[in-house]
Amino acid sequence: MSLSLSLSFDALSRVDGSARFGFGLYPQFLTSLSGPIEVRLAAEQPSQTTIEVNVRPLTNVPGTESKKFGVILKEVMQRQVIMEANPRTLIQFVVQALVPLRSNSKHTLNSDEIMAAMINCCTLSLLNAGSVPMRGVICAVSVARVIQVDKAFKYVVQPGDPNQASSCVAVGCFAFLFSEPEPKLSSEPSSASSPCVWTNWRFLRPGHADSSSGDESETAARKIWERMKMLVEERENLKTAPALSLKNASSSRSKANEANDAMVVENEDEDDDVKMEI
Amino acid sequence: MRPPSPSIPEKEFLFSALKQGLRLDSRDFLETRPVTLNFGPELGWVECSLGKTRVLCQVDAKMVKPPPERPFEGFITIHSELSPMASSEYELGRPSEEEVTITRMLDKVIRRSDVVDKESLCIQAAQRVWHLRINVHCLADSGNLLDCACLASLVALKHFRKPDVEVIGEEVIVHPPTSRAPLPLSLHHTPYCFTFAFFFDTSIPPVLDPNLLEQRLNGGLISIALNSQRELCVVQKSGGVPLEPADVLNIVNVAVQKAKDLDAFVEARLREDWAGRKVEVR
Repeated sequence: MSLSLSLSFDALSRVDGSARFGFGLYPQFLTSLSGPIEVRLAAEQPSQTTIEVNVRPLTNVPGTESKKFGVILKEVMQRQVIMEANPRTLIQFVVQALVPLRSNSKHTLNSDEIMAAMINCCTLSLLNAGSVPMRGVICAVSVARVIQVDKAFKYVVQPGDPNQASSCVAVGCFAFLFSEPEPKLSSEPSSASSPCVWTNWRFLRPGHADSSSGDESETAARKIWERMKMLVEERENLKTAPALSLKNASSSRSKANEANDAMVVENEDEDDDVKMEI
Repeated sequence: MRPPSPSIPEKEFLFSALKQGLRLDSRDFLETRPVTLNFGPELGWVECSLGKTRVLCQVDAKMVKPPPERPFEGFITIHSELSPMASSEYELGRPSEEEVTITRMLDKVIRRSDVVDKESLCIQAAQRVWHLRINVHCLADSGNLLDCACLASLVALKHFRKPDVEVIGEEVIVHPPTSRAPLPLSLHHTPYCFTFAFFFDTSIPPVLDPNLLEQRLNGGLISIALNSQRELCVVQKSGGVPLEPADVLNIVNVAVQKAKDLDAFVEARLREDWAGRKVEVR
């Protein structure tokens, strides 16, 4: 299964961390993170930090749907951030959509893909900031369960619009928390499992309900996690962090299982000055 | 959340540097920060940056029924709201002074100065017109958000293409971009906005394109919007230290020259971007 991702750290000057993420060739979301910062008295909590997520669509004023995404993202981020570490402070996310969320062009996103991309983008911005203590790294993918001709189930990661595919029986987005350390030898598989911290798995047709959801989602999320680690590695070791190009993505996908020895060197130097300002 | 004011050492340092004719980022007094324009995959999407200040602008068009009092024209709405991404001092739902200034200035520069030919947006009189929506998102506020926002909206309007529409009798056919090439908007002129900051100490000449510190410590701001044909669209000076008429004329002359340069740059970037897109003519 091939995952085409576009992820990069941004350099917005007035916030603590910012990053872009997208499934496909172009970034779909830009998230900025400020925190821990001063909080309004009304929103202050005495023993834990307050998380605020604002989702802003590309077109139009933010409406009910944006509010819904914001509430879900807040829940997911609470699993990732160590809340007790900074009481009486605020961690403020702003998720800006870079593509129209509802359009009739060929790039329509379904809501699971949107959710997965937003979660990954928020995680990346937390990694970029480095100022918020985290329990682990949450990566999310959207999955659909498809009935094949021989009545067997197959799980497809990153499906297209599920309503059009008549063989889809269930869809959803899964978010996994990765926090185990790397195995010492690259031949050892990572032993600890990564728990699923959030899902909205739902069945589109009656009569197919069961609780299994396959391993494909976790494998795909792990690939995303490895890409994120590579991005952070690049940033820390080389002191330049140009956006990972698609060319790099295909080579890194094949090396995803050997993430320890894959150290990808980027040849784009033009973003040097931008990164030096941090 | 209120921003912390610049500290007294910063204030004194800035003023003494300016008195000696030096700007803290080593620019000339009348030099803008480097402008970069990045275009997205869709037409009408542009991210403009003026140094560290960044604004994203996207234009899209919807077909709607026109209001009865103006049946032969399309209309434009501009949506610009400052989010905490631009800076954590901006709160959602509470318009700050900066946000009000940007909204009003964008309205004056783009709508009231008639940049877009509204009659060309009409498809069928009194029944269907194009409603253009300009969405401006301020990504980072490092001083002079206003100029950046105006530039981004203008370039997005120039970059945008509307679908080709054919009216046969009563029937309206909208051709998708795959079958007929979309058309550019018909623009009357292209105004660019330049903001100058001046200070309480009147011996310091005005500076063009103030950065964050200069904007915080200013004694007044004057914004001039004009096009490269030397036509003034908007002159806005809201409060601040009084200026001599001679100073204002000097500023206008400087802005005229900058507008020409900026126009050449924008046209070159648009051409470059257009050449990079695969356009098939059958």
